[in-house]
Amino acid sequence: MAHNTVLNINQVAINLGGREVLSPTSFDVARGEFVCIVGPSGCGKTTLLRAASGLLAPASGQVLRNGLRVTEPSREVAFVFQDYGRALLPWRTVGGNIALALEAANVPEQERGGRIADVLKKVGLTQHAHKFPAQLSGGMQQRVQIARCLAQQPQVLMMDEPFGALDAMTRQSLQDELARLVLNDGLTVLFVTHDLEEAIYLGDRVVALQSNPGPGRPSLARMLDVNIPRPRTQLATKEHPEFLRLRRELFAFIEQSHD
Amino acid sequence: MIDRLLIKLRPWWFPVIALALFEAYARTVGKSSDAIAPPSAALRGFASALSDGSLLSATAFTLGSAALGLLLAAALGIAAGMALGLSPRAARLSFLSIEVFRPIPSVALIPLAMLVFGFGLRMEFSIVAFACFWPMLLLSQAAVQQVEPRLLEVSRVLGLSPLQRANKIILPAIIPRLFVALRLGVAVALVVAVTVEIAANPHGMGYAMMIAQQSLNPGLMLAWLMWISVVGFVINYGALRLERAVAKAMGQAG
Amino acid sequence: MTFAMNTGAARTKIDWARSLFGANFLLLVIIFLWWAVSTAGWVSRVFLPSPQATWASLVEGVTDGDLLAFTWATVSRMLLGWALASLLGVALGAVIGLSSTARAYMQPTLEFIRPLPASALLPLAISIFGLSPAMVLSVVAFGAMWPVLLATVHGFASVPAQLQEVARCLQLSRMAYAFKIGLPNAMPDIFAGMRLSLTVSLIVSVVGEMIASQPGLGQAILLAARSFRASELFAGIVLLGLIGFASSALLAVFEKRLLKWQKS
Repeated sequence: MAHNTVLNINQVAINLGGREVLSPTSFDVARGEFVCIVGPSGCGKTTLLRAASGLLAPASGQVLRNGLRVTEPSREVAFVFQDYGRALLPWRTVGGNIALALEAANVPEQERGGRIADVLKKVGLTQHAHKFPAQLSGGMQQRVQIARCLAQQPQVLMMDEPFGALDAMTRQSLQDELARLVLNDGLTVLFVTHDLEEAIYLGDRVVALQSNPGPGRPSLARMLDVNIPRPRTQLATKEHPEFLRLRRELFAFIEQSHD
Repeated sequence: MIDRLLIKLRPWWFPVIALALFEAYARTVGKSSDAIAPPSAALRGFASALSDGSLLSATAFTLGSAALGLLLAAALGIAAGMALGLSPRAARLSFLSIEVFRPIPSVALIPLAMLVFGFGLRMEFSIVAFACFWPMLLLSQAAVQQVEPRLLEVSRVLGLSPLQRANKIILPAIIPRLFVALRLGVAVALVVAVTVEIAANPHGMGYAMMIAQQSLNPGLMLAWLMWISVVGFVINYGALRLERAVAKAMGQAG
Repeated sequence: MTFAMNTGAARTKIDWARSLFGANFLLLVIIFLWWAVSTAGWVSRVFLPSPQATWASLVEGVTDGDLLAFTWATVSRMLLGWALASLLGVALGAVIGLSSTARAYMQPTLEFIRPLPASALLPLAISIFGLSPAMVLSVVAFGAMWPVLLATVHGFASVPAQLQEVARCLQLSRMAYAFKIGLPNAMPDIFAGMRLSLTVSLIVSVVGEMIASQPGLGQAILLAARSFRASELFAGIVLLGLIGFASSALLAVFEKRLLKWQKS
C-alpha cells in the first residue's frame, strides 16, 4: 500500500436483502484525491460509500483507513447526506447545527465560536448564522451540512449524491464551491453521483459501477483518470477535448451496461 | 423459525412476569391485605361476576350509555362541524363561544346532570355527549376545511350544483377523517362513561368496581379493573380497524 | 366612481374587527338567551340559575366563603400532579424510547394501558392509601403520566434515520444523543402529551375530590347539587371551565415559544 494512500477498499462485497448488490470491489484513494463513483440505480454506489465510512458492514472484504480496518463511523470521516432536510437539526440555528460537530468532538467552548465563523465563511453563510434550516433554501441547507462536515476537520469527506435534490443552477454553483474548498483544504473526497458530467467535472478519477453483478460481470466496470487541469470552470472545462472524450466513453459504457 | 416465534412472544414477557411477581407478592407479603389480591383471586372474582350475570349487565350499561352519548354527539357535532367548515363566516362568529364552553371538564357537569336527571342512563349519556361533542365538532370542521382545494376548483369548472358538490366531492372526501374522529370519540365516550360511574352513577362497570372495593373484595375489584381495561382495549382496537378499513375502501394510501 | 380604498390590508383589518365583534356578539346573545330562559322560568331555576345569581354566588363565595380556598386546592392538586407526571413521563419515556429492544418489549403493554380511564385507579388507591389528599395526588400523577410517557416514547422513536446516522458519524455518546437529538425531536410530541395530561389531571382531581371527600371544587359542586343550590353549582362549573381554559392557554403560549423553530 502506497505511502499516501488514505483509503484502501479491499475486495469489498455487499449483500442487501440476501442479494449481492456489490461484487468484490477494490481500489485505493490517495491523499487529496477526489474520486467520483457513478453508475445506474441499484449498482451499489451508495452502499459502497456507506461501507467505506463504517455505516455498513461489508459481507466480505474490508475497508482500511490509514492501514486500520474500518468497522464503525468515525469523526475523521465526514458524511454528507443527499436528504439535507432530514440531516440537519430543525430546532437549532445554522450556527447551532455546526456547533453539534464541535460538541461531539469535545472542542473547548472558547474555540467553538471561531471555528464556526471560519467554516461559515468558507461556505458563504456568515449572514445566515442565526436562521433556522426551515428558513433556508435547499442549496443553503446543503451548504450548512457541508459546513458542519468541514467543522469536523475530517480526513475524508464522503458525499452521497449531495446535489441530486437541487435545481441545475444551484447544483452548478455548489459544484464550483466544493471544488474550491477541496482544493484549498486539501481534502480527500469520495463522491457518489448518477450525473456523469458532474463526476468528470469534479473528479480526479471516476469509478464506474454496473448493476446486477454476476460471474464475468464485476460491479467495478471502469476506472478512468480525469486528466483535466484545475481550476476547472463550468463553461471552458465542459468544452475541453478530454472532457468530451471521457464523457463519450462513459456514456457508451452506461449504454452497454443497460443491455 | 424459532426466531420468529420468539419475536412474536416478546410483547408477553413483561406482563406475564409482572403478573407472576404480583401473584407471588400478594400471596406472601400482602396476604392479609384488604387492598390487594393475587391475580388468581381476580380470576375467581371474574368467574363469579360472569356466572351471576353482573358482568354482562354492567358492561352492557356502560357500553350502552357510551354508545348513546357518542351517537348524539356525533350527530350534532358532525352536522355543526360541517356547517362551520362550509361557512368561514359562521366559523369566525362561533369560535369564541366554542372556546368558552369547550374547556369545561365534563366531570364538572356530573352534579348538574344528577340534579336534572337523577341517577341512571340519561345522566350518564348526556355527560358523554357533552364530552364527545367538541372533538366531533372540531374534527368535522377541520375535515371539511381540509378538502383538497383543487377538488373544489374542479367542481366549479365542472359546474356542479351545491348539492352535487356536497354529495360527490365533500362527503366522500371527509368520510375517512370522520372515522378518525369517531375513533377518538369512542375512546372519549368509554373513558367518560366509566368515570361518571366511578364518581356518582350507581350503574355500570365503574360502579361495580367501586362496590367491590367498598365491600373489601379486592379480588373482584381487580377483576373489574382488568375487565374495564380489556373492554377499552378491544373497542379501541376495533374502532382503529374500522377506521383503517374505511380509509382503504376510500382509496387512501397506507 | 369607485372608491379604491379597499386595499388588501385595509380590507383584512376590517374583516378581522368585524369577526371579533361578531364573535363577541354571538357570545352575548347566548348569555342573553340564558338570562331570558331562566328569568322567564322556561327552565326551572332549580336547574338553571340566572346569570346574575351565578355571578352573585361567585362573588359571595370568593369574598365570604371558601371558594378561593377550594379553587386553590383543586388547582394546586392538578398542577402538582401534572408536573410530577410530566417529569416521570418524560424520564421513563426517554429510557424506553431510546432503545428499540425496550420498545419491542414494552410498547404492547403500554398500548394496553393507554385506553384505561385514570379515574379507574381511584378505588385501588383508596384501598391502599385510604381517603387522603396524598391518595388523590398519587392517582392524578399516575394517570397523567401515561399521555406524556407514550408521547415521549413516540417522539424518541421517530427520530429521522438520517439524524440517527449523523449521530453515528459524529460518534455522539448515548447521553449526548438523548439530550441533543432525541429530546428536541420529541418536544412537539411531549407538548401534545402534556396538554392531554393537563386535562387528565384536572378530571382526576375533581373526581378524586368527589369520591374521597377532599376539599376542593369537585366536592364543593357535588355538595351544592345535593343541597339544590344551583347558583353555587354553576359558579363552581364556571370556575372549573376557567381553570381548564387558563391552564391550556398558558401551556400553549409556553409551547409556542419553545417550538418557534417549527415552520408548519
